[in-house]
Amino acid sequence: MIRTEELLLNVGPQHPSTHGVFRIIVKLDGEVITEATPVIGYLHRGTEKLAENLTYTQVIPYTDRMDYVSAMTNNYVLCHAVETLMDLEIPERAEFLRLIVMELQRIASHLVWWGTYLLDIGAMSPFLYAFREREMIVNMFNELCGARLTYFYMRVGGVKWDAPEGWIDKVRDFIPYMREKLDEYEQLVSGNEIFLARVKGVGTYDAQSAIDFGLSGANLRSTGVKFDLRKDQPYSIYDRFDFDVPVQTAGDCYARYLVRFEEIKQSLRILEQAVEQFPEDGQIMAKVPRVIRPPEGEVYTRIESPRGEIGCHIVSKKKPQPYRLKFRRPSFVNLQILPKLLVGETMTNLVTILGGIDIVLGEVDG
Amino acid sequence: MNLLQDLTFSSFMWFLSGAVVLLAVVLGFVTYAIYFERKVIGWIQLRKGPNRVGPLGLFQTVADVLKLLLKEDTIPRNADRFLFILAPVIAFVPAFVVLATIPYTSLLQFADLNVGLLYYFALSSISTIGILLGGWASNNKYSLLGGMRSAAQMISYEVPLVMSVVGVVLLSGSLSLNTIVEGQAGGFWQWNILPQFVGFIIFIIAAVSELNRTPFDLPEAESELVAGYHVEYSGFRFAFFMLAEYVYVYAIAALTTVLFLGGWHSPLPFLDFIPAIVWFILKFLSIVFFLFWIRATLPRIRVDHLMSLGWKVLLPLALVNIFVTTIVIELIKYFK
Amino acid sequence: MKGIVKGMGVTLKNLTKKKVTHQYPDVPLEMPDRFRGVQHFDPEKCIVCNQCMNICPTDCIDLIGKKNPDPEKKGKVIDTYDINFEICILCDLCTEVCPTEAIVMTNNFELATYSRDDLFKNMEWLNDNNTNVRKENSINIPPKKAKKEEK
Ligand code: SF4
Ligand code: SF4
Repeated sequence: MIRTEELLLNVGPQHPSTHGVFRIIVKLDGEVITEATPVIGYLHRGTEKLAENLTYTQVIPYTDRMDYVSAMTNNYVLCHAVETLMDLEIPERAEFLRLIVMELQRIASHLVWWGTYLLDIGAMSPFLYAFREREMIVNMFNELCGARLTYFYMRVGGVKWDAPEGWIDKVRDFIPYMREKLDEYEQLVSGNEIFLARVKGVGTYDAQSAIDFGLSGANLRSTGVKFDLRKDQPYSIYDRFDFDVPVQTAGDCYARYLVRFEEIKQSLRILEQAVEQFPEDGQIMAKVPRVIRPPEGEVYTRIESPRGEIGCHIVSKKKPQPYRLKFRRPSFVNLQILPKLLVGETMTNLVTILGGIDIVLGEVDG
Repeated sequence: MNLLQDLTFSSFMWFLSGAVVLLAVVLGFVTYAIYFERKVIGWIQLRKGPNRVGPLGLFQTVADVLKLLLKEDTIPRNADRFLFILAPVIAFVPAFVVLATIPYTSLLQFADLNVGLLYYFALSSISTIGILLGGWASNNKYSLLGGMRSAAQMISYEVPLVMSVVGVVLLSGSLSLNTIVEGQAGGFWQWNILPQFVGFIIFIIAAVSELNRTPFDLPEAESELVAGYHVEYSGFRFAFFMLAEYVYVYAIAALTTVLFLGGWHSPLPFLDFIPAIVWFILKFLSIVFFLFWIRATLPRIRVDHLMSLGWKVLLPLALVNIFVTTIVIELIKYFK
Repeated sequence: MKGIVKGMGVTLKNLTKKKVTHQYPDVPLEMPDRFRGVQHFDPEKCIVCNQCMNICPTDCIDLIGKKNPDPEKKGKVIDTYDINFEICILCDLCTEVCPTEAIVMTNNFELATYSRDDLFKNMEWLNDNNTNVRKENSINIPPKKAKKEEK
């Protein structure tokens, strides 16, 4: 007797396209997904709990390891929260350095996303091209702060290192180079019919559900909501620069692709201005006591990481250690919409949609 | 030497030695095709490609194959043992057998069958069964999905593949590959690629799909199905699947050369002094290079698009192509 | 079709471009001076102030001091000093706080071993690891003084 059966397929935790240890249990009817249950927590390290026993400075290297593709913005959100609590004035030069590394980081992070996304979709070369450019940024970071992935560059009150000689020029030279490479990427991928057919109209949701699920970053902006904390709640010195917030309205994977691609260009614009205005001289560290004891109170600060709104909530009891530390991790929040998007899609689209959300498992699991 | 002559002991020995030589040539080709593929893709991706084993990494594939042969041969406990063992054989044998009809030059050919083309397509579709069996017998969900995909894909692309060459057959009036090449003598303007350009495009697309190569590598789609139908295979059984795949690359490249690029004929008459086999190899290699090149560039196509491309675009186009070719041939005959 | 053809053009162009890969184990990787690699430890300089142990966010430094064998001198000298590189995250904090630059970073990063036990490095090993030592280390030395030293 012939009968059909639903197939329970375990995708992950070790699967090439889950970008780490992420697991989805999907019910398949043929190739069509009827139910998807994400399982997370394989990379949980309890950063927030660990932080309760660490001084503020000691927590910063832990933030490096949350969203390891974009460590600089994570550094910043924590420092920024503590600084807000302490009402610290950050020296100009330090602010500029922070901004430059954050924007470089945004480019690097989007390049990783671009490369791996294309790899998920089946094209191999873009991955290596993207990593060639990312390598340049990583090398610059290496010169600046001595690490290639877990930078631990920012401190409460400023940054650890001043820019070495010629470093700013390297950033300046990088901008036109990257623009040229972006054109090449566009030729290679953005017009490719197979690619367009894979991403257009896939994983669509509207602005309302994006807001309901609390999505942020490119996932939100792809639905037409123009919300970017760099503009809407300027932190650091973003209000001094002229840049646009790219928005798309389609809400599908292609819209997210375009938003991220355009964001790289806007970051280059910011960098261009920042490099020009970079102060000649100045302190890189504010006057901070050796042991940081923020006044009693609570603070929540949020910034725009490459993946969306990353927030940091500190409850301080005037101790060197935070009483409670909580991160709003954009990858974790953005992932919540996944089960909804997957129902009715095929296995192939699972990869496209998951990649389109752009998660980093270190951040999802905390 | 012709397979169709009477079988005596001496002719049998002849065939045997010929087959062994061909096998050696094919294995050599596969070894260096893999090496070459990795090099080309490496270069395109700004890498160096294999360069550790032997001078310039020339022995890389040999080392890889040795490693595969030395590996533990695992058969999953819940697999269908008999079919699991049989599948790689079924996949490989037809791949090798189809090579018999390929004419390399007017003299160098194993069997000049008068239904050569038909023979090729008939046998090559058997490999699909091997892949499907492998996917089924492994008793793994990923491999099952891969096997199903490959069955669907190969069956749907078999049709436009065969249809696309009907135009060529009409032009030369024969199914024998030798005759088809003979009809293309006298310079590149005589090659079938010009009158049959639509057919050529359809043939290439369908052929890449038949080969399960990027952008049609859905059965193995490593980012979705991990490895598809051969996910449970290891050691030399896996090697057999790989081998079948590359032998088909060889076969398809040779077939394209024969059908559309004028086989062993030189593109310009005054270049005739260069031996025929050189022309054949040159054309053959450029096809192989093309396959590697698209692998390095294109993303993978989606299953439903694949099906609609096959049935809704390629097949009607191929039919129109046949129709137009017939009309043109008849008109030419009428006006002559 | 147009997009595909364009893409093919890009890959073909890259075919002949200069390769960007590094022949790593054959050609050693040069790291910039600030690179945070495996530490070098100088027992002579250490004053057993325990600051490095206290600041370490992963608690991977173990040190024991003993009384100065020279009865005329005060203070302690270091007896054992171990870093467990299974958990050291090379964050730079220990070298940052050390007042005497007894522990400093080097540019060496090759730590791969076959056994986890080999990652437990003692004082001797850390002392021998004295190549490619980083130039700027402690921030405890006030900047003015540091500048004078340079002169
Ligand atoms: S580098 Fe960081 S983790 Fe390693 S020993 Fe020093 S303080 Fe501890
Ligand atoms: S901080 Fe420096 S001086 Fe103090 S115990 Fe550590 S290594 Fe010794």
